[in-house]
Amino acid sequence: MTAGVLAVLAVLLAGPVPSALARVSALRRTPVAAVMVWQAVALAAVLAAVGAGLALATDRAWRADVGPLSMAVVIVAAGVAATVLIRLVACGHLVGTRIRSRRRRFRSHVDLLAHRDRDRPDVLVVDHDAPVAYCLPSVAASRVVVSTGTIRLLTEAELDAVIAHERAHVRGRHDLVLEVFSVIQRAFPRWVASRAALDEVSVLIEVLADRAAVRRHGRDPVAHALVALATGDVRTPAADGVGLDLRGSGRTALARVGLLGQAASPFHDLAQSAVLIAAAAAVLVLPTVLVVRPWLASLAG
Amino acid sequence: MVIPFNGRLGDLERAVMDHLWDVCDTDPATTITVRDLHQALESDRRLAYTTVMTVLDRLARKELVVQERDGRAYRYRARAGRAEMTAALMHDALEDFAHDDRRTALVAFVDVASPDEIEALQQALDRVRGS
Repeated sequence: MTAGVLAVLAVLLAGPVPSALARVSALRRTPVAAVMVWQAVALAAVLAAVGAGLALATDRAWRADVGPLSMAVVIVAAGVAATVLIRLVACGHLVGTRIRSRRRRFRSHVDLLAHRDRDRPDVLVVDHDAPVAYCLPSVAASRVVVSTGTIRLLTEAELDAVIAHERAHVRGRHDLVLEVFSVIQRAFPRWVASRAALDEVSVLIEVLADRAAVRRHGRDPVAHALVALATGDVRTPAADGVGLDLRGSGRTALARVGLLGQAASPFHDLAQSAVLIAAAAAVLVLPTVLVVRPWLASLAG
Repeated sequence: MVIPFNGRLGDLERAVMDHLWDVCDTDPATTITVRDLHQALESDRRLAYTTVMTVLDRLARKELVVQERDGRAYRYRARAGRAEMTAALMHDALEDFAHDDRRTALVAFVDVASPDEIEALQQALDRVRGS
């Protein structure tokens, strides 16, 4: 019984639920609560899958007469639970190591090639025409990097907005949130909606950082900077050996500018946040209380 | 004035790279020895010969400097000129944004719109201004 319920729950939380969540664009109005829901659903899906395997295995193994068929079921069920956990740990290690080594390499090169902005000590300026802005997260000293092309393209207020946005990523360690969903996507690339989760969570953290920039510098500079950089020409001369066309690599700019244009309705957003946070808590707590506790009690008894 | 990121060693790495890039900009094929570099840098500060060696070794490991054997000594040069390496850095960053599964190494401010999105973006911007 327990195993069946948990297995159904795991399937729902890994497939239909995230697919449906990704389609509800209203969730982007409350990015903090929405990220909490995504994290809760991902964690609950993993716990349910592992729980289902363990429940089935113990259900058979605890019986007095363990026949060969029961033994096979125990092995398969325990194997499923172990596979989920091992894949997650292995991919976590793989993705984490690769990201950190890439960042280390970027950091060492950026630190030597770029110069510090005179007015903003945490900002590095790379002398290049392509308009880009990004942050390089790190535990000790994160860097915000902009190119001279960006500085030329934007007004002072827009540049401030971009930097406030990047600082929000750094402060909130949004890279860690993304890293978790990258690991899940890497570990389970098929049959589950891990790609939809990664895509939607990356939009949500951008919306979060946009909000932070709006609070400091107002809506207009953020929207202008978004449009200017999304439509700016990043194709650098082929003579550089660069020549890279990124157009159409993502579709988040439009969604973000659209959100900035929506009228604020604090009451609605507050209510939505409350509902989402309650749902996030429920998706984690209810399976534990309703399914796992009785099962543990039955094992003890 | 350049402020070092990680204290004296970072400061020194910058000084070494700046010197090597200046050499490279004059003639990309020129290589210099630790002794040349030590002399060039010591005019500004007191510096141990072994420290210069350590810094060059670190920079070689970071793929910024190329080490070439010349008899018993090593000769060094920047892997490429400053402009070329800046372009390579930009290329790496843009490539990082383009690959979905590597998106967590750097976090870009915004991704680049496709041509058919540009008009929609402009309209969305007008709505922000109007509201």
